[in-house]
Amino acid sequence: MAGVSTKEIKTRIRSMESTKQITKAMEMVAASKLRHAQAQIAYSRPYFRMIYGVIQDIVETTQDQRLPYLTPVKKAAHKTAYVVIAGDRGLAGGYNSNVLKLCYGEMREGECAVLPIGKKAVDFFTARGVQLLNENYAEAEHVSVSDCFTMARALCKAFRAGEYDEIRLGYSNFVSVLSQTPATMKLLPLEPEAKEKTAKSDILYEPNSGEVFENIIPEYIGGVIYGALCESRASEQAARRSAMDTATQNAEDMIADLSLKYNQARQAAITQEITEIVAGT
Amino acid sequence: MKSFPLKIVTPDGPQFEGEAEELIVRTISGDMGILAGHIDCVTALGMGRATVVTSEGKREAACIGGILSVLDGTVSLVPTTFEWADKIDLGRAEAAEQRARRMLEDKRLSNVEVRLAEARLKRALVRQSVASARLGR
Repeated sequence: MAGVSTKEIKTRIRSMESTKQITKAMEMVAASKLRHAQAQIAYSRPYFRMIYGVIQDIVETTQDQRLPYLTPVKKAAHKTAYVVIAGDRGLAGGYNSNVLKLCYGEMREGECAVLPIGKKAVDFFTARGVQLLNENYAEAEHVSVSDCFTMARALCKAFRAGEYDEIRLGYSNFVSVLSQTPATMKLLPLEPEAKEKTAKSDILYEPNSGEVFENIIPEYIGGVIYGALCESRASEQAARRSAMDTATQNAEDMIADLSLKYNQARQAAITQEITEIVAGT
Repeated sequence: MKSFPLKIVTPDGPQFEGEAEELIVRTISGDMGILAGHIDCVTALGMGRATVVTSEGKREAACIGGILSVLDGTVSLVPTTFEWADKIDLGRAEAAEQRARRMLEDKRLSNVEVRLAEARLKRALVRQSVASARLGR
């Protein structure tokens, strides 16, 4: 350790300590936001499941293929619209890049346009020259329930007008505090999960199936986007919390390492001094 | 009276889950009442009052937008907004009404803005009517 002076090591320790303070603070902020987001998920999940279940039931039992939203309209462009939900800020581990890469990978298969939610999504797709629908939702933190419904209505309208033959959604699934997986799902056209249709189609649509579909599908899409947004927000905070936790630990390790070197250097200097005195040089 | 399982779930969480004897909601084609043994049915909700009758009594709520489905005897109500009469903030609804009316007076609004303001006004009025009915005004 001869080459490095004690002063140099001391400065490094100090800078490392301030970094540690920042990461620690960020971790705590994320932890508190995470609790909030988790509470929101507890509310949005039953809704998401219910609305998804209701629509699946209808799609699986209905025989009428002429209903809107079940198939792309005739002469629709072969173009897919993606709704991609990412975060506004970085320093969240792989949260942003995971979901963005997954979507971008899928997009290369055909012509697409993107409705980005979150600043990171806007930047990512702008940099890659993908067509953006709009940038109204560049701040994922401030997107509200009614924004989701507005988005859904616009997307449904575009789908009915034949601008797109498919609409997909990319988001992050909040599996647990330690695990978040990016996923994409098909919003439109509606598709039954089970391939075989159960022959039970005597559902009464009031006033008629066309009008009911016209009204409930935008609601459904809005609900699904909102559910995905809640999942993504919780994922972001969880990812940031664990990333910052790791960073804090790394900083601590480095400080311990540097302190040891500092003490060794100090001890070496003292020993040398004593040797010099004893030798009388 | 015969009862049926009823679930009411909104984006803000579940609002009701249990047995109900009667449900009356405003759909896009007018009020609709549901009793036990209803045929499988799906409809879209309008803006209006929802009444839930259970063995314990009658409760009213403001119910706006969403889906109503009856499948195999289970009734699922999935509204965008659902507020029990006793949870409605009457003052806030009145303030919202004033705001919406002021906005509509502005002649420079675009069509979209007018529609938004009208929807807001209607929501405020629905809330007020449900809340004041409870207060007996």
